[in-house]
Amino acid sequence: MSPMTERPRDDYWLSLEHLARDPELCARIRDEFPGYDPAALAEMPRRRFLRLMGGAMALAGLTLSGCRRYPAERLAPHARRPEERVPGALERYATGFEIDGATTGLLVTTHDGRPIKIEGNPLHPDSLGATDGITQATVLDLYDPDRSRWPVEMTAAGERRRRGWDQFDHFAGAHFRALRALGGGGLAFLCGRSTSPTSLAMRARLREVFPRCRWYEHEPFDAAARIEGSRLAFGRALRPIYRLHRAAVIAAIDADLFGSHPAKLRHASEWAAARKPEAGRMNRLWSIESELSITGSVADHRLAQRPGRIEAIVQELARRLAVAGVTDAVPLDDRETRFVDRLAADLRVAGAASLITVGDAAAPRVHELAHRINAALGALGQTVEFVEEPAREAGTIAELAREIESRSVETLVILDGNPGFDAPADLGLAAHIGRVPTTIRLGLYDDETSALCTWHVPRAHFLESWSDGRAWDGAVSIGQPLILPLHDGRTDAELLAGLAGDATRSGYDLVRRTARDVIPHEEGDAAFERAWRRALHDGVVERTAWPRVEPELVGAARSTASEVAVAEGATGRLDVVFRRDPRLHDGRFANNAWLQETPDPMTKVTWDNPALLSVRDAGRLGVRTGDVVRVSVDDRSVELPVFVLPGQPEGVLGVRLGSGRAAAGRIGNGVGFDAYPLRTSATLAFAGNATVESTGRRYDLASTQDHHVMDTFARQATEKRVGPRGESGKVVREVTPADFGGDAGLGDGEASVPRADGHDRARIFDPPSQFNEPHAWGMTIDMSSCIGCNACVTACQAENNIPVVGKEEVARNREMHWIRIDRYFKGDPESDESPDVVHQPVMCVHCENAPCEQVCPVAATVHDTEGLNTMVYNRCIGTRYCANNCPYKVRRFNYFDYHSKEPGEPARPWAGMPDSQQLISVDEVKRMVFNPDVTVRMRGVMEKCTYCVQRIQRARIDRRRRGEEIRDGDIVTACQQVCPTQAIVFGDIGDPDSRVRALQESPRAYPVLEELGVRPRTLHLAKARNPAKVDFEP
Amino acid sequence: MTPPTATAHDELRGNEPMPRYRTAEIDNTGDDPRQRAPLVLGNADYTAVTEDVCSINERGTPRAWWVAFFIASSFTGMFVVLLGYLFTTGVGVWGNNNQVSWAFPIINFVFWVGIGHAGTLISAILFLFRQKWRTSINRFAEAMTIFAVTCAGIFPLIHVGRPWVIFWMFPYPNQMEMWPQFRSPLLWDVFAVTTYATVSLLFWYVGMVPDLATLRDRARGRVAQLLYGIASLGWTGSSRHWQRFEKAYLLLAALATPLVLSVHSVVSFDFAVSQLPGWHTTIFPPYFVAGAVFGGFAMVITLAVPARQYFGLKHLITLRHLENMNKIMLATGLIVGYAYLVEFFTAWYSGHHYEQYAFLNRALGPYAPAFWLMILCNVVAPQFLWSKRVRTSPWAMFAVAMFINVGMWLERFVIVVSSLHRDFLPANWSHFTPTWVDIGMLAGSFGLFFTLFLLFCRFLPMVAMAEVKAVMPADAARTAGGTHAASAAGGAS
Repeated sequence: MSPMTERPRDDYWLSLEHLARDPELCARIRDEFPGYDPAALAEMPRRRFLRLMGGAMALAGLTLSGCRRYPAERLAPHARRPEERVPGALERYATGFEIDGATTGLLVTTHDGRPIKIEGNPLHPDSLGATDGITQATVLDLYDPDRSRWPVEMTAAGERRRRGWDQFDHFAGAHFRALRALGGGGLAFLCGRSTSPTSLAMRARLREVFPRCRWYEHEPFDAAARIEGSRLAFGRALRPIYRLHRAAVIAAIDADLFGSHPAKLRHASEWAAARKPEAGRMNRLWSIESELSITGSVADHRLAQRPGRIEAIVQELARRLAVAGVTDAVPLDDRETRFVDRLAADLRVAGAASLITVGDAAAPRVHELAHRINAALGALGQTVEFVEEPAREAGTIAELAREIESRSVETLVILDGNPGFDAPADLGLAAHIGRVPTTIRLGLYDDETSALCTWHVPRAHFLESWSDGRAWDGAVSIGQPLILPLHDGRTDAELLAGLAGDATRSGYDLVRRTARDVIPHEEGDAAFERAWRRALHDGVVERTAWPRVEPELVGAARSTASEVAVAEGATGRLDVVFRRDPRLHDGRFANNAWLQETPDPMTKVTWDNPALLSVRDAGRLGVRTGDVVRVSVDDRSVELPVFVLPGQPEGVLGVRLGSGRAAAGRIGNGVGFDAYPLRTSATLAFAGNATVESTGRRYDLASTQDHHVMDTFARQATEKRVGPRGESGKVVREVTPADFGGDAGLGDGEASVPRADGHDRARIFDPPSQFNEPHAWGMTIDMSSCIGCNACVTACQAENNIPVVGKEEVARNREMHWIRIDRYFKGDPESDESPDVVHQPVMCVHCENAPCEQVCPVAATVHDTEGLNTMVYNRCIGTRYCANNCPYKVRRFNYFDYHSKEPGEPARPWAGMPDSQQLISVDEVKRMVFNPDVTVRMRGVMEKCTYCVQRIQRARIDRRRRGEEIRDGDIVTACQQVCPTQAIVFGDIGDPDSRVRALQESPRAYPVLEELGVRPRTLHLAKARNPAKVDFEP
Repeated sequence: MTPPTATAHDELRGNEPMPRYRTAEIDNTGDDPRQRAPLVLGNADYTAVTEDVCSINERGTPRAWWVAFFIASSFTGMFVVLLGYLFTTGVGVWGNNNQVSWAFPIINFVFWVGIGHAGTLISAILFLFRQKWRTSINRFAEAMTIFAVTCAGIFPLIHVGRPWVIFWMFPYPNQMEMWPQFRSPLLWDVFAVTTYATVSLLFWYVGMVPDLATLRDRARGRVAQLLYGIASLGWTGSSRHWQRFEKAYLLLAALATPLVLSVHSVVSFDFAVSQLPGWHTTIFPPYFVAGAVFGGFAMVITLAVPARQYFGLKHLITLRHLENMNKIMLATGLIVGYAYLVEFFTAWYSGHHYEQYAFLNRALGPYAPAFWLMILCNVVAPQFLWSKRVRTSPWAMFAVAMFINVGMWLERFVIVVSSLHRDFLPANWSHFTPTWVDIGMLAGSFGLFFTLFLLFCRFLPMVAMAEVKAVMPADAARTAGGTHAASAAGGAS
């Protein structure tokens, strides 16, 4: 008999071996839970058991940590998973964002249907993979709980009532049917500048339906002078497209090429690409400006001057460069003469590799002269190309105001924009809008303008909209929505289609309809479908850029010595220069807390817009930073706090517009000061003859740097660390092309930069290089490329769920940004010379010999095997010792539960459990923006830059799934990805072929605070300046 | 002068004026080489000592005590309320920031730990060195130590961001299988301070057992009898008890002695082990210990001068005691002053830019007023102690001690804040301003300290009666009445 038959029949068996009572298998079954020995538990002495249990209960009960309440979560799993939907997998879609009439292509990351992160589209000519800080922050606007959620109607009695879209459609249907019968008489539209094909098509469509309707365009920062300038030079409206990488010498005339130009990202990228001393390329940037822009801050030579003098300077420059028609010399002062002499000589040497650029705010004649100088140098078609400026078939806002005044506007439709806040003050537009019988406002927020209108209807955020747009050079991109409208908003085109009574009303159909005309495709629906899908996928459509034109100069420049020579003398009065806020644009982003908390690139002030004053003017007026002054131009005056800024031109009060909103939302209301009341249609760029007087009051400005008044010793110590003008200091090192064996970028890159700075490290204490398995993560930050634009700060905030702390907390120096850009000035602030500026981005440098790790009593910050200095949030108890011991002071502590605190309000004692979770405490809509790959930190824990460890892990997992090794370039940190100048490079320094390795071996690479021996993994590349030779003979 | 008798004992329970010998200031500071200076004045015998000390506890509660207790416990109450506010809101209620991550709580911690030093020094080191004069003040000073360490212990616990998981600092078996990180000086602090608190408490309590037995024996009320009875651990005064007591006391003294040096050395490591200019200094351990003794004695003077006046203990805590403490203060004060000087010299001599600037900034930067006030309090004020007139004038020395109390707090402020607020990268430089919570908690910790001290004065023997009797000349006791000799054995009669 076989053993099988011996077993009782009713016994279950697992396998044949089991049935055969295989001893090995039986042992394995018995030992189902290895290591678990019930006998040992049973034998545990009673005392020992009680001791352990008592200890456990005491610790759990005494400290409340046993009473932690985890939030209730409700799951609604897909019963059947939609095709190609992997829960938790990131998906990216191409879309576009239009601002100032130019669209930047974007790739937006969504997580389970929520857009959480915006990146630039590398294929798009205006992005090249980068974005600016504002674009980064628009994702926060999407989830802004203050956004308008429903239509609002103002009743005859002036009350504003909540309405539904059906009620609006009912009203609009009747109203516009009646208007159609009148041919649209008395109908006017006011919108922002746009080059979107669909918007233009809708405009044309409405002109068809309402032949007598009128269109007006309004942007607070207009380009009229630029267009007028090109008409003067070329006889037609042309748009210059700068090719900075082809230029050896660039002169920026009141032009913030990197800060406010629609193509700023491409400019920055091209400029930085031609600024690599190792590669033997080094352009030279000259700047003449009436503010201190980020472009001016990275210029090799800078002349800060009153705006009224700029025309004279450019005219003199034109005369030196023998521009036809410019014959009369204008008197310049010494400083101007010296500058113009050297600039002219430099341009003459560079010839066709020169580029003169002019900002939109400059007078038309400055634009004209610049075109003529470029032509004289042979730069046209080389460093500057031209396309036709798209025609503007719309009136200005001043014309609209006149029309309303003459009572010829019965119905006004305002699409986006905020003219009730930002229109020139002399137009009195707010009062005018109130006089129009029917006003309809489509807006993202129920704001100042909406409050004046009879109807307010919510607009869809661009991430909720189908749209299209054109890049600065005309390349078309299609914007697709990433999410259904959260608050039931409509796009401009959808609203207009409704008003026109069209059958096609969905944004998708409208955009697709235009796309048939815009996207080049072969005949047939199938071909279009292919082209359309490709356009959606790529985010930019090839061969749609406007054709380049080769313009001819018309006439000759007028020589107007008599006009320009009589610029303001030392009248003691100031020019007020109006500029958009680098953080808030024209004010439309005032309710965005990320942007409000982004430090201004120069002043480092957050949550405010102080007026900028030069050191000398401040001395003359007897005011200092934080004093409130009354600025009066003619009969208009506003009160503003002052910030004394080195590098600010003497005689110029710099005013940033866009703050001080009354109806922005909970974040932006009452933040900063509204300076629009000073600005009239005649003084859009600057207002001369302003008086500034101190009110004697003080105002607290919250700055992320310089939380202190500098005494003499502090200034000396700072100079020693930052270095005197033109030289290296301890923490900021600088090189000139001479260090590379040549000048003007002609060096061979052989000569090395002196590395030692007097502190030779004692090598015996150096442990061998460690934490290199299997990768050795490291980073370089090129201070020569960094323009201080703050895009990385906001990108890091978006990627890493960094909370906003509010003005009071910033004033206490508790800002949470993981990356900060230290800004240093060099040189005498009192002197004529513009000070040198250094932008030094600093985040955790991941020291191999990390001082923070040694002092943490609970091992909450430890190294991993690949060199990351990791932070274990749920182990951290918050002693803050690590922050004390960090020489870079890059660690950030959650002093409060910042995510659940409103930035404008103080933290309140909060009745929940101390350990309660963010899922409960943070607003439902607000928390949708969180990146699920990154822990949302609670109060009481330390945090800091992680080298975007979540991105490292994603790349690792993606590669491992395919059985591959991580390659150089797989991992891009958030700050690196957004950087328009590619100043930040991350990678494996153990990989001999990696980019970061090559950069770390550059003679410019140095560890900041090298003498401490902490051996940072992040190296900074010394700032390279390229000044013209001092002994230059003009 | 007739010493009080057993009948007088009853009278003293009322609030009648104290005998002159208890309140008169007698100068016993002169040294006569022919005879040993008496440690107890007023010809007090054993009985008198027992009477004088116990009567403080046995008399009705004086109104002044109630007033003082009301004020002190109000501050304690405020402290508790502020703790609640802190726990529910977050440590941001203080003024600490990204650059100055440590401020008032750590300053207060180091300050209070420092105060604690005098007690153990007096009780342990002076005991081992057979400095018999210590007996009158050691109880008092040890109590102060315990209370100061209590105040000190609170701050590190509450200063962390998540105080509810503070027990992760302790090495205990846990499901995470995590040990604390033993390289961190904060962890050393945990061990140093808990050891110190434990040994000090034991030392204090063990020394008090015979005196508690005396109070037990004299107690009339049932509750007092019960409580003193439990606390005195069945002390009968038998020879065997005495023999074991003295052995235990000696051993504890030997255990406590190294702690005097170790605690503040370890506390100083919090700073010295870091790499912050202004903290990273090898002189810190001896400098901190000297400073702690200096500040601790100042606090003993601060408490002793009013207490001996009010409770009539001038014959026990004599001018000679006070003078001796002043001498120690002067000596340690000079060490502290020297340390300040050496720090500056080292900074200059190092040729190290960051180090040099840290000290330049200390003396001339935004917190220079705190620094110079500290110099005034800790270096200039003690110089008055060279004068014997100051050393023997209770209120003059009280004034000097007050200066030193302030100065020692400022010293920690200067070390912590002025070093942190401007370190390596100038872009980080910051400023620290305390909030009302910071100041409230400092005041609250004083409230707690004085509350505990007042309770001690009321309910526990302020002077170590048994020990004082042991250093009194036996003759005096015998001549004053041999029948009371037994009470020299600790009141077990």
